[in-house]
Amino acid sequence: MNESRDDTIEALLRQQFEGPVADDGFSERVMQDLPLHRRRATWPLWIGALMGTAACGFCIDTVPLFHSGWRDWLAGEPSTSAIGMWVVMAAFSLLALVWGLVESSDR
Amino acid sequence: MADSAAEARIDQALVARVQLDGDRRAFEQLVRRNQGMVRAQLRRLLHGDESAADDLAQETFMLAWRRLGQFRGEARFSSWLYRIAYTCFLQARRTPTWHESGDDETLERWQAPMHPVDLRLDLERAMQRLSAAEQVVLLHCVQLGLTHEDASYVLAMPLGTVKTHAMRGKAKLKAALADWHDAGAEEIS
Repeated sequence: MNESRDDTIEALLRQQFEGPVADDGFSERVMQDLPLHRRRATWPLWIGALMGTAACGFCIDTVPLFHSGWRDWLAGEPSTSAIGMWVVMAAFSLLALVWGLVESSDR
Repeated sequence: MADSAAEARIDQALVARVQLDGDRRAFEQLVRRNQGMVRAQLRRLLHGDESAADDLAQETFMLAWRRLGQFRGEARFSSWLYRIAYTCFLQARRTPTWHESGDDETLERWQAPMHPVDLRLDLERAMQRLSAAEQVVLLHCVQLGLTHEDASYVLAMPLGTVKTHAMRGKAKLKAALADWHDAGAEEIS
């Protein structure tokens, strides 16, 4: 009973609604007043990427593990620090890849 | 349901074209496809003031054009537009020059052309007696056909609040139109 009265009220409300308004030149007026689309500037992105890379390099430079790992790797010795360095780099690359995939699937 | 999903997909494809290279023709298609309902929404919110509704609709599409880069598809494009339009309406209402257009003359003109007149007049009057929140929730959920979730997004209102307002609004309308109940069921059948 209540549901059918709900339906009646909803049906009355829908009947009272006039529905979509006819265009009558509205879209044309909107398009005439539309400003030019400004392309988003890319320079902040590049500055951000450069600053991020510099900060990353500075951080790595202060970690002894990377110094010894890199030295061992160049000397052809697969030491713990050399393997650790590559594992950390691979993990961060994987993290960046997953982040990139998630961001692209959101768009 | 399938139709509205297909419509949403078409809108989404057009949005992607605008976002990719600022395609004005794709945006024009979006305007043509959505202007009717956005203007209808604003006319209801403004109690039938057509010129004010069209001004706000124009503002809505200008904002949509500027902000389309920020649209990430978290809702349907049409819901996103409804949300911008509703925000424009709220902002306009806050300005000092705003005047409420729901005077008797406007209401009569708005209610005039249909029949059976008495039932519709009673319904319109009963709607006017609802709180502002109940009116906007019923407009979006019943008349514009949005889901409660979509209405919650458009009105920036918690989902539970939307459901409560919808339920209370309908209950008040039912009580106000109780005398019409038997006849009303015949009218709409």
